[in-house]
Amino acid sequence: MSDEKISAAGAPVTAAPQKHRDPLALIVRFQSLIGLVLVAIGGIIFSPRRHGEILFLNPDNIANIVRAVSETGIIAIGMTFVIITAGIDLSVGAVLGLSSVVTASMMISGGFGLIPTILAVLVMGIVFGAIQGTISTRFRLEPFIVTLAGLQAARGLALVVSGNQYINISYGDGPGLAPPVFAVLGERLFNNTVPVATLVFIVFAAIATIVLNTTRFGRYVFAVGGNERAARISGVPVSMVKISVYAITGFAAALAGIVHAGQFNFGSANDGMGYELTAIAAVVIGGTSLFGGAGSMVGTVAGTIMLGALANILQLNNITPAMQLLATAAIIVLAAVLQSLVRRREGLGR
Amino acid sequence: MTAPLLVMTGAVKRFGGVQALRGVDFDLKAGEIHALLGENGAGKSTLMNLLSGVYTPDEGTIEIDGKPVRFNNPREAQAAGIATIFQELDLVPSLDVAANLFLGRELMRPGGFLDVPAMRREAKKRLEAIEIAIDPGAMVADLSIGQRQVVAIVKALSYASRVLIMDEPTAALTVGEVERLFDIMRKLAATGVGIVYISHRLEEVPGIADRVTVMRDGRVAGITEPHAPQAELVRLLVGRPLDELYPQRAKGAGKPLLSLRDASFKLARDSAGWQAPQGVSLDVHEGEIVGLAGIMGAGRTELLSALYGTGLSGHWEGEVAISGRPVKLDSIKAARHAGIAFVTDDRRGSGLMLRMAVGLNLVMSVIRRISPNWLVSPRRQAEAVKESFGQFDIRPKNPDIAVGALSGGNQQKVVLAKEILGNPRLLLLDEPTRGVDVGAKGEIYARLRALAAQGLGILVASSEMPELIGLCDRIVVLRQGRNVAEFMGGVDEHTVLAAANGREA
Repeated sequence: MSDEKISAAGAPVTAAPQKHRDPLALIVRFQSLIGLVLVAIGGIIFSPRRHGEILFLNPDNIANIVRAVSETGIIAIGMTFVIITAGIDLSVGAVLGLSSVVTASMMISGGFGLIPTILAVLVMGIVFGAIQGTISTRFRLEPFIVTLAGLQAARGLALVVSGNQYINISYGDGPGLAPPVFAVLGERLFNNTVPVATLVFIVFAAIATIVLNTTRFGRYVFAVGGNERAARISGVPVSMVKISVYAITGFAAALAGIVHAGQFNFGSANDGMGYELTAIAAVVIGGTSLFGGAGSMVGTVAGTIMLGALANILQLNNITPAMQLLATAAIIVLAAVLQSLVRRREGLGR
Repeated sequence: MTAPLLVMTGAVKRFGGVQALRGVDFDLKAGEIHALLGENGAGKSTLMNLLSGVYTPDEGTIEIDGKPVRFNNPREAQAAGIATIFQELDLVPSLDVAANLFLGRELMRPGGFLDVPAMRREAKKRLEAIEIAIDPGAMVADLSIGQRQVVAIVKALSYASRVLIMDEPTAALTVGEVERLFDIMRKLAATGVGIVYISHRLEEVPGIADRVTVMRDGRVAGITEPHAPQAELVRLLVGRPLDELYPQRAKGAGKPLLSLRDASFKLARDSAGWQAPQGVSLDVHEGEIVGLAGIMGAGRTELLSALYGTGLSGHWEGEVAISGRPVKLDSIKAARHAGIAFVTDDRRGSGLMLRMAVGLNLVMSVIRRISPNWLVSPRRQAEAVKESFGQFDIRPKNPDIAVGALSGGNQQKVVLAKEILGNPRLLLLDEPTRGVDVGAKGEIYARLRALAAQGLGILVASSEMPELIGLCDRIVVLRQGRNVAEFMGGVDEHTVLAAANGREA
């Protein structure tokens, strides 16, 4: 991650060294990585100790941090695409809940196998997102309002499917039981160190980074957010790009929902509430502009882990959840202010 | 009008390591119209921002009526009587004229209610004072750019009334509107208002200014008579004699490229204020530059955007052919497929991704070409960027900086270079040099002519008559969406204007 250059829009155009960069712009460019380092240093300093061991650095604790952020992280990866196009997707938390319910009920009451279930849920997420994207582009509606409706719709569907009950997942062979391999999502691999949920997050992030920075589609995403009218005039298929990014967030939310069901062994229509806001926060802290046209996947990953690490330190020190919320609020504001300062320096802001 | 109203002495302003002003003296007399000329980056905007209180000078003084003043913000400058009209008019389009004039200082009735009738009456009085008939109840969004300009002037004068600073007020106006604006400026000057008039358009200066200050590289390059020869002004502006601004015309044109025969664009829904092409017949040949002239609202922009499929939805009727083959131009996709490229008149709004790097903007129209197999090839991208930098002298020569940080002229070169990368056969240009300095203009004209020599056909709409006359091989005049006259390049301006206005020459 460290040798990955976070560019305003994908790979740098030339290898030419850049002269006299604004230090503030550099800070903002790497703000989430810098923030992550600062939080880590803070974690080490303020961590409670037991027999001289720094609890924050305990492998179990670190595994816990990266496991806890994996679901919002997966969602934030998808959200980064949408926000770079200057859009927003509020439905992701609800789609996570819906996906966890559908995953559980397909395997438990439906008797479907693992692979068909996962494929069906992922396709459902893609279709759900694509419908929102289509409505938004076809009728020229703000994505805010379309995905707000999508949030309600997904929660409603989840309640219908689940009958407002937890659907517990029991493992075993035979009808009404899920394949035991599904439970791996709640476990750790490699000598009980790396949580599987985190692996899913990291692999998804790696693929998304490649798609955003090296493919034609990634370039279109930046173009649409940078200036939609200019992109259209240059021949970019703007509507297709917009529909696709909502399909990606739908896919990400469904993936997170499957991970959720596997980690907690149940499907619940009311889970994932507020995840969309945590994901948006991670994306913004990661340096992606809500105005569109600029952003980085690596920043989103760093922003996600930073928020998780911060929550962890505060928990380790028995600081109340209320204070955690306030600390998160302060970081979001700081990240946004830094970006605004750079825009003004560049003479692009108002 | 002998004692100077406003005197600026030795003004210095730095931004980081960049020295925008290096000791500038400037003065303005009451009742004087003082033109301030300079290329982009010469420092005229900075000078204007010092006078209007947006920036404070690092060194130097500003005096009004012989008393030193120091403005910490625009409000203090307004209080001292200095009103500024910026290029981007600070009007709220969704409010009516009266509401805009009184924005922030609304007239109230007892009880905290707006006194709309009183504001409308007062607005009407102020507009009539400069003999302008604009309905105070009209939405600003429904006014023409020229009318908005007038509203902005009236608004500015109601804040402050001794000095009026106008930044490129004629940039978006048609010839007729410019004349009306000049009338208003002369009337205001006659009442004792000192006017600083910032412009790119050299040819306007003799008609309006009493005195001309030319800036270059953050210094005053010279103060001259408005009737100084244009060559002298150009020499002061660019610091060296400029070769012929307009390149040699082509010897002869090639085969017909775009042919319209009695072509009309039928709108899917009627739309007031959008002058759809009506029975247009014109040809653009390979290697030919054809100009579209006409007054504001004659349908120049509409013709170009209808050809490119960016206008309102609708379809063409009549004959529309490219290289003799009929084409259905109803979408951007169809237009691009036919080899048509388009450069809008609004590079910031619909031409560029301002926050993205120059290089990324340049390759925007050739993303397919640089991404075979869907993966963007850094090598192909670098080649495309290099090709563009070879075509146009874009400064600074760094493809990695944000395009929004470039000067207007360089931004325009990026927009042009971007479309030319796609190897179009026909290039549609709308106001190709709006807000572009003289040096960059000359370069753009030369490149366009060179591209035409390679067989590119160019159809260019412009409200700058000298540009059309100097650049184009032929000029087609539009009125109410129709082609009403056609002239060879080099025709005299009055003949074209007469045709555009529907009068005998």
